[in-house]
Amino acid sequence: MAEPTNGSQIPETKYITLVSRDGFEFVVPREATKISPAITGMLDPLNNFKEAQTARCTFEEINGIVLEKVAEYFQYWYRNKDQEDVADLEIPPEICLEVLMAADFLGLT
Amino acid sequence: MLSGKINNAKPGPRIRPPRRVMTGGTSEFETLWQMLKSSFCDIHNKNASALAFEQLYRAAYKIVLKKKGSVLWQQVTEFETEWFSAKVMPIIKTLITAKTINAALGEVSEVSATERRNLGEKFLKGLRDTWEEHQTAMNMITDILMYMDRTMVTDARKPSIFTSSIGLYRDNVLLANPTEHGAEYKVCALVNAVIIDMINMERRGDVIDRSLIRSICAMLENLHQTDEEKDDERLYLVVFEPHYIEESRKFYANEAQIMLQKQNCGAWLRHAEQRLKEEEDRCKTTLSTRSSVGITEVVEQELVIRHLDEFLSLDRTGLGAMIDNDKRDDLSILYRLLLRVDSKLPHLKAAISKRVLESGLEIEKAVGNMDLSTVSNQKDGEEAKASSAPKTGSAAAQQATSSALKWVQDVLDLRKRFRMMLQVCFDNNSIIESALAKSFADFVNLFPRASEFISLYIDAYMKKGTRGSENVEPVLEEAIVLINHIQDRDLFERYYQKHLARRLLNSKSESTELEKWFINAMKQQVGTHFTAKFEGMFKDMSVSQDLRTNYKEYIAGLEGKIEPPASSYKKIELAINVLTSNNWPADSMGRNQGDGDNNDVIFPEDIQKLQNSFLKYYSNGRNGRVLTWVPSVGTAEIKCIFPKLKESGPLSKERRYDLTVSTYGMIVIMLFNDIPDDEWLSFEEIKERTNIPANDLHRALVGITIPPKSRILLKEPNTKSIKPGNKFCFNSSFVSKTIKIKAPTVNPSRVESREERKKTEDKNNETRANACSAALVRIMKQRKELTHTLLTGEVMAQLSSRFCPDIPIIKQQIDGLITKEYLERMDIGGVPGYKYLA
Repeated sequence: MAEPTNGSQIPETKYITLVSRDGFEFVVPREATKISPAITGMLDPLNNFKEAQTARCTFEEINGIVLEKVAEYFQYWYRNKDQEDVADLEIPPEICLEVLMAADFLGLT
Repeated sequence: MLSGKINNAKPGPRIRPPRRVMTGGTSEFETLWQMLKSSFCDIHNKNASALAFEQLYRAAYKIVLKKKGSVLWQQVTEFETEWFSAKVMPIIKTLITAKTINAALGEVSEVSATERRNLGEKFLKGLRDTWEEHQTAMNMITDILMYMDRTMVTDARKPSIFTSSIGLYRDNVLLANPTEHGAEYKVCALVNAVIIDMINMERRGDVIDRSLIRSICAMLENLHQTDEEKDDERLYLVVFEPHYIEESRKFYANEAQIMLQKQNCGAWLRHAEQRLKEEEDRCKTTLSTRSSVGITEVVEQELVIRHLDEFLSLDRTGLGAMIDNDKRDDLSILYRLLLRVDSKLPHLKAAISKRVLESGLEIEKAVGNMDLSTVSNQKDGEEAKASSAPKTGSAAAQQATSSALKWVQDVLDLRKRFRMMLQVCFDNNSIIESALAKSFADFVNLFPRASEFISLYIDAYMKKGTRGSENVEPVLEEAIVLINHIQDRDLFERYYQKHLARRLLNSKSESTELEKWFINAMKQQVGTHFTAKFEGMFKDMSVSQDLRTNYKEYIAGLEGKIEPPASSYKKIELAINVLTSNNWPADSMGRNQGDGDNNDVIFPEDIQKLQNSFLKYYSNGRNGRVLTWVPSVGTAEIKCIFPKLKESGPLSKERRYDLTVSTYGMIVIMLFNDIPDDEWLSFEEIKERTNIPANDLHRALVGITIPPKSRILLKEPNTKSIKPGNKFCFNSSFVSKTIKIKAPTVNPSRVESREERKKTEDKNNETRANACSAALVRIMKQRKELTHTLLTGEVMAQLSSRFCPDIPIIKQQIDGLITKEYLERMDIGGVPGYKYLA
């Protein structure tokens, strides 16, 4: 539809890196993040924001423990999206609320 | 998706509250919004690569969490509106010059096409670019504001920010009035005009930038009249298409006029088809497939339907000419075109029917011309016949017969041609097929002598020796189709019966198999009741065959047992056909002769004995059957001995000849057995002695007195016709080169003369009246009371398989039945009706 905003188009990498506020990094398949519209928009090559260029998303508001769960959830979704009767993902009750908020932020509803 | 398991045995782990994010107030909103705003500017300026999405997204997220979502929404729309007036419209305005306006809106058309195209393309390109930039930017902004959208759309029921922002493009750019002064018009009006102008250029053969127009159309398709985005409120449909359709209508109306002036139907067809294809393609490549139905309809209406009749009736190239010249390609195109317009094909149907009728009438006229000469000829011929010149008469009859055959052949050829056309050009369309069938039936029925001619045609193929042993079945099969077309089947039945009787009784039939096959085929096509009589005739023939053999055996058995008369049975061999009177035509059965004196022809004594003998044999075991002798259709083979007259020459010895003559002829000849050789008998005397009806006697005498080859009797005066008062005498000096002599006895199957036809028709009408009457009684007996309309309707329905009854005949029969007190007039609910009595 439109020319890329930046002349040099970066080829889409297979994996992307999620970075937490406290510096933890989680590498997940790009496909697995498609469940989150926020991350999808972030990485959209047409929009070509900084994240799209570096394949690296930094979340200033999410700490490592929660982001780990989020990354795990991405994997969990990616593995199981085409299957039925899948066992629930275990979430420790103590981080429940924070995970919930992160999910809301990322549009995982 | 989230679940946790709490272990109840130990004290549960503490749930940590989330970090507080809801801090700060309006000032924080301002900071966040300023950051977003400057990023939006960057995005619009294609400067977004340095921006971190997460940061912007989080900013919008925070604003929404602070319940400032609707404020943000408001701010964004204001920002975009400002952006349009500050940055976009100035660009657009530079593209709209006075010249563009003039060229596009066509007030002054002094601008050349090339210039117009260049200006238009520039304008459209500018527009497309601003649109695409806006769309890209808005995609990015929408992604950033995703969180806001989510809450706004569900909670505040506002259109998504993307929808409203492209709505802003519509309101601020397309619907804007670009000039500060002067004419009232909007950008989109200009867009319409430019696109339509370009399309008209392409229609005239220019090359235009299709993809440019396509992208503008896509824009119009993506924009809606309101932010509710209803499917039928797309700007393309609301703003552009009506104009486009209207202008196209003008264009094609004009083009149709030009084509009409060229007077070439074929060219017009090709052109129209080409145009339809072009428009179809144009919708795919240049405009939008949404328009294909509409524009196709315009072309069909303006270019095809509106002047269809004018084109089809063109003299040298119209439908008639196409059919006559077998222009199958053109006809196929015509069919395809009309099929798209209306699957019921009313125009083509009407045109084809008309053409068939015309061709049919042409054939009839051609035959009529031929016939006219023959009829007058025949009239002379008949007079000549009466004055002893049968040859002219039969020649004329021959010619009339061949014209009958020609008529049928032409009709069949015509039918074949149209069938072919149906198959090749019209895809065996069932509507056209039935129209063809109907119009064939129409003109066949318009021709009063169709029944007779078709029967004659079949007769010609069935008769011995007329056509070799070629394969006649397909020809006859086609003839059956014609029979199917005939409405007055009873009349055809009558003729066929007559011709078949003649073939059977005179053993002229080429093959019984073929006859039977044909009757079977007719049975399948027309119905059992129709062929019942014909089958009966065949049955009679085969029964008679058995009867003859048995009778022969019976005679052989009698021999020796019974005295004198047996000798005469031996001399005379009887070949008899016992015919069931219902199955055979009345006139060949000797009935309805009208002369009144035909019942008791006086047979020679020998023959009478023979008759009695057969009667005796036949009545044995068949009580109550009445046999009537029908000498008019019989023939006799007699041995004739001519006496020795002179000492030398051909007359110097006794001559024996085998004569084949009609039964009447035999009676006459045998009459002379009993008188001296040189005694003369007058016509009246012969009539008196034999009691043969005058007509038949006349015919019999012609056969044995006039042709030199079979001049058994001499006539006084020796003229070529027989008149009352003529005298006849045994021609004892008769000489022939052949032993077997055949006196011309039977008239060949030929066209009926005017009077004969009249007679046949009268007879037929009589039969019809009876059938009507029978049907009336049948219906009334069952229904007891019936209104007039219903009654006539039922009668028509009952009889229509045989013929199409006239209303007057029905009325007449009703009156007749009332007089005979079968029916009574009565009033049924205010409508005239009848009541069944007795």
